[in-house]
Amino acid sequence: MFAFITRRIIQAVVVMLIISFIGFTIKHHVGDPVRELVGVSVKASEREALREKLGLNDPFFVQYKNFLKNAVRGDFGISYFFKKPAAQVILEKAPATLELVFASSILIIILSIPLGTYCAIKPKSILSRLIMGMSIVGVSIPVFLTAIMLIFLFSVNLHILPSYGRGETVAVFGGLWDTGFLTIDGLKHLILPVIALSSIMLPLFIRLIRAEMMEVMQTEYIKFAFAKGLSKKRIWFVHAFKNTLLPVITVGGVQLGIMIAYTILTETVFQWQGMGFMFLEAVERSDTSLLVAYLMFVGVLFVGVNTVVDIIYGLINPKVRISGTK
Amino acid sequence: MKKIFCLICTAVILISAPVHAKTVNLGVAADPIALDIHVQLSGEMLAYSHLSFDPLVRWTKDMKFEPRLAEKWERLDELTMRFYLRKNVKFHSGNIFTAKDVVWTVERLKKSQDFKGLFEIFETAVAVDEYTVDIKTKKPYGLFLNMMTYLFPMDSDFYTGTDENGKPKDAIDKVAATFANTHESGTGPFYVTYREQGVKTVFKRFADYWDKDCPGNIDELIMNPIKKDATRVASLLSGDVDFIYPVAPQDYAMVQNRKGVKLVTMGGSRIITFQLNQNRRPEFKNTDVRRAIVYAVNNEGIVEKIMKGEAVAAGQQGPKGFGGYVDELKPRYDLKKAKELMKKAGYENGFECTMIAPNNRYVNDEKIAEAVAAMLSKINIKVNLKTMPKAQYWNSFDAQEADIQMIGWHPDTEDSANYSEYLVMTPSKETGYGQYNSGNYSNKKVDELVLACQTETDPDVRNAMLKEIETILYNEAAFVPLHWQNLSWAGKDNLDIEPIVNIMNFPYFGELVVK
Amino acid sequence: MDKWKKFKESYFLYSFLRDPVAIVSFIIFLFLVIVSFSAPLIAPHDPYDTSTISIMDSEIPPVWYGEGDDNFILGTDSQGRDMLSTMMYGMRVSIIIGIGAVALQAFLGVVIGLLSGYIGGRVDAFFMRLADIQLSFSTLMVAIFISAIFQTAFGVGKYSEYAVPILVLIIGIAEWPQYARTVRASVLGEKEKEYVEAAKVIGFGSRWIMFRHILPNTLSPVFVISTIQVANAVMSEAALSFLGLGMPVTKPSLGSLINLGFEYIFSGSWWITIFPGILLIILVLVVNLLGDWLRDVLNPKLYKG
Repeated sequence: MFAFITRRIIQAVVVMLIISFIGFTIKHHVGDPVRELVGVSVKASEREALREKLGLNDPFFVQYKNFLKNAVRGDFGISYFFKKPAAQVILEKAPATLELVFASSILIIILSIPLGTYCAIKPKSILSRLIMGMSIVGVSIPVFLTAIMLIFLFSVNLHILPSYGRGETVAVFGGLWDTGFLTIDGLKHLILPVIALSSIMLPLFIRLIRAEMMEVMQTEYIKFAFAKGLSKKRIWFVHAFKNTLLPVITVGGVQLGIMIAYTILTETVFQWQGMGFMFLEAVERSDTSLLVAYLMFVGVLFVGVNTVVDIIYGLINPKVRISGTK
Repeated sequence: MKKIFCLICTAVILISAPVHAKTVNLGVAADPIALDIHVQLSGEMLAYSHLSFDPLVRWTKDMKFEPRLAEKWERLDELTMRFYLRKNVKFHSGNIFTAKDVVWTVERLKKSQDFKGLFEIFETAVAVDEYTVDIKTKKPYGLFLNMMTYLFPMDSDFYTGTDENGKPKDAIDKVAATFANTHESGTGPFYVTYREQGVKTVFKRFADYWDKDCPGNIDELIMNPIKKDATRVASLLSGDVDFIYPVAPQDYAMVQNRKGVKLVTMGGSRIITFQLNQNRRPEFKNTDVRRAIVYAVNNEGIVEKIMKGEAVAAGQQGPKGFGGYVDELKPRYDLKKAKELMKKAGYENGFECTMIAPNNRYVNDEKIAEAVAAMLSKINIKVNLKTMPKAQYWNSFDAQEADIQMIGWHPDTEDSANYSEYLVMTPSKETGYGQYNSGNYSNKKVDELVLACQTETDPDVRNAMLKEIETILYNEAAFVPLHWQNLSWAGKDNLDIEPIVNIMNFPYFGELVVK
Repeated sequence: MDKWKKFKESYFLYSFLRDPVAIVSFIIFLFLVIVSFSAPLIAPHDPYDTSTISIMDSEIPPVWYGEGDDNFILGTDSQGRDMLSTMMYGMRVSIIIGIGAVALQAFLGVVIGLLSGYIGGRVDAFFMRLADIQLSFSTLMVAIFISAIFQTAFGVGKYSEYAVPILVLIIGIAEWPQYARTVRASVLGEKEKEYVEAAKVIGFGSRWIMFRHILPNTLSPVFVISTIQVANAVMSEAALSFLGLGMPVTKPSLGSLINLGFEYIFSGSWWITIFPGILLIILVLVVNLLGDWLRDVLNPKLYKG
């Protein structure tokens, strides 16, 4: 276990190096940050002076070397727009995204497990067909279409729910985390984005759980369990469900990437002030330090989650040995 | 059942209605990049300057000068203007406003990267006594008072010294959280109580505001940047905010027809044009080809259909009301004439060329570019169009990556000559003129006239020169004029928007009345 | 002839003919493909020929409205293009990009997933970390990168000509890890099973075992993903178009048409979004339904077991 984790950490460092390098290459193609800082009528010579001052005229590798030197000390550069360290900006924006993802995940788990299992156990029932039908339609509607329709219906026409933003937030954990969970206004602002974000992931999970569960139900040991006369409920929920979890967790880990892509879309439509929105804004403003820092952050997140998924995978399925040697 | 629902609604409204203070929630496209008003010359920054600061003079709705912190002024000689300052004016910090603050601010403006271009012409500002200041230019200058609308005196005592990090408080820095970027002390109607950049800024009314005749009655203004047009308009319709600007043309009709909200629009001075790059395409060196293109572009159709009538089709750079405006220079769409000109130039079969335009800079920029590309195909010019976000666009524009490039321009000086200085003068790295002339149009006569305008102080002579410039540009088809964008604001019915908005798009929120 | 006979007697066809949903989906899908690919022949207008469109025809409502125009049955968009024709051409673009990108993803993903899962060790570690890197770069970043390189190499003018292959490449490269990791996970589960051991004992080579024995058994999750990947590819394309990195505005895809119409949704010109929106949903839905059915049929365990 220890060897496994050490190896993963070393790998993670290599991954971070590569990500930072690619991020650095990309940042030269998203536009000129100086342009976003000065007014249009400012002379080219003034812009040049600012470029020089910000070190943007240094050769690529000098810039990259400086970046790495600072990054080791946890300094990812200053966000030009926010005028704060990029890492700090990301940490300030992370709670919004994490709360959105968390609330959606809860909704997805609460609904997909019972619905997916039900559809697998009673595949021929009308309700199952209905759920499957709905889920396939759900998967087919683009998330931004859902989001705009929700705003159109609930905000603009019915005036029930707010159309954008997080609403009133409260600082907790000594001001480190701004939460929208503790105010009624914050919760109201959460509803539409969560529905929009879940609208595409929920059907996917229902389908996945159903497919995997049905596969498990066909296996010999379940048939044997039935033959042995174990109670149906026990077979379904203890034997079959446990074995369904394995692939669901793997795919779930993979889905995190898609989820982050969808948070970008959802956050944009609802102007939810999280990392996805910040990222798109950073691209539009050529806020390059923030861009690279965001990529690094997402990279860390992915490597971290994948490591955890692999560990859980190993715990559930002892056949996959997580050892240092192979 | 319906009745009960209504009752509940009323109850909710009653509970949620503010009992004491009048708060206005504002939805804008972007917030200022910092609290230091000298850090960027941009629309957002100037709009904010009018909230927390006051200029010496400001523009009225009909483009006259209105005394603000300067009560009156007089010209001492060809170079010097004397300003008599208002007494009993307090800064937000409690300090008293005097002549030394004006002198300090002028000096700071000359150091600001963004403003030094505009204030280079000013030699010195000298305090004659506590409430009199003499401002002197290097050369005779026709736009003296225009520049004074950019002079928002800052609290010199407040910004002097060093902050807790040992950095000077008056440092102008675009990328650091300096003292000036995070604190403000002006004389304006509102002071900032809370700010989370890109999320919201809260302004409270300044109790000691000098202008006791100010009709404004809002106590709190919350500025919320909402980037997307559709989201912004949705937030007004859903009641999340009370006032938004700008409004996209396609939403005008709907906002107008909706109960409880209203729309105000006004002609603007931002001209949208296409430049035809003569260095990249030899065809564009031919005046007939350029004129053919201007004749082929139905800019009135674009105004009617894409801008929903809320823009003015242009034939020249400056709009009506500007010094150089010539009545006769009308838009000239005539497809037959365009085809004839192409034939005359020997390009009856046309040619293929490239075009770039931004997709998030000007109102409906992408759609306009697309429509123009379609129009040019009717005179057999096949256009390969690429649109991109503005962050990437300016690099491409400067590199002159395409044969036809879109550029919009609003003169900081609210004066005709400014268009020519940036858009049509012969590009030169040394002088900085023609900085946005990606068409590489060059005409000695135009260059001479624009330079002469700078030092001409007689308005009539100056206007005649400006008119001559416009006429030359028109006849030579130096660029493809499209239209002047209208400005637009929308708010709830109980907000009296009309009196506070103006052509510069700096709503004077201090004077906003809420019924 | 022999193959045809074999096909006629196959379980594949048998189950297809027994499943009305699959039949209807297939017919609709076929219809959409035929309509979109024969668009240059049957569409009433040519939206790519800019000399035939006029801004003065913009935002005409569908023909059943009073202000409608017989010339434009489903109305026109904000540039005056006929909605019906533009949708037919746009669907063609969406189908090509969707299928092309998914084919590329699947190819990369399956090969890498198989190698990674079967060989394990350093190969596995290498590919999985590569997937981590790839996943942290959203499609957007890949798009910025590739289009920037392309523009530097070929200039701005050529972009609109090669937009489709570029987008296939972008979306294909950006989203292979989903496949790779799913396949890898299944391979890990499969490889310890008896039949693999048996194949090894018999003396089959590892390539044979991978492709002939393990691959078919890992396809179930691949199909679950493939079905939505087509939708994802189309949506990624829409998101890119929205940011000015996708299809050029003069050659709209279904996604960019929807985005174009979004700006008009509050203004009353709903048809610019809703028609392509419905078409997109139908297209994705039938692909999904076919994918579902395919999974049921092709998954060996479900009918052999």
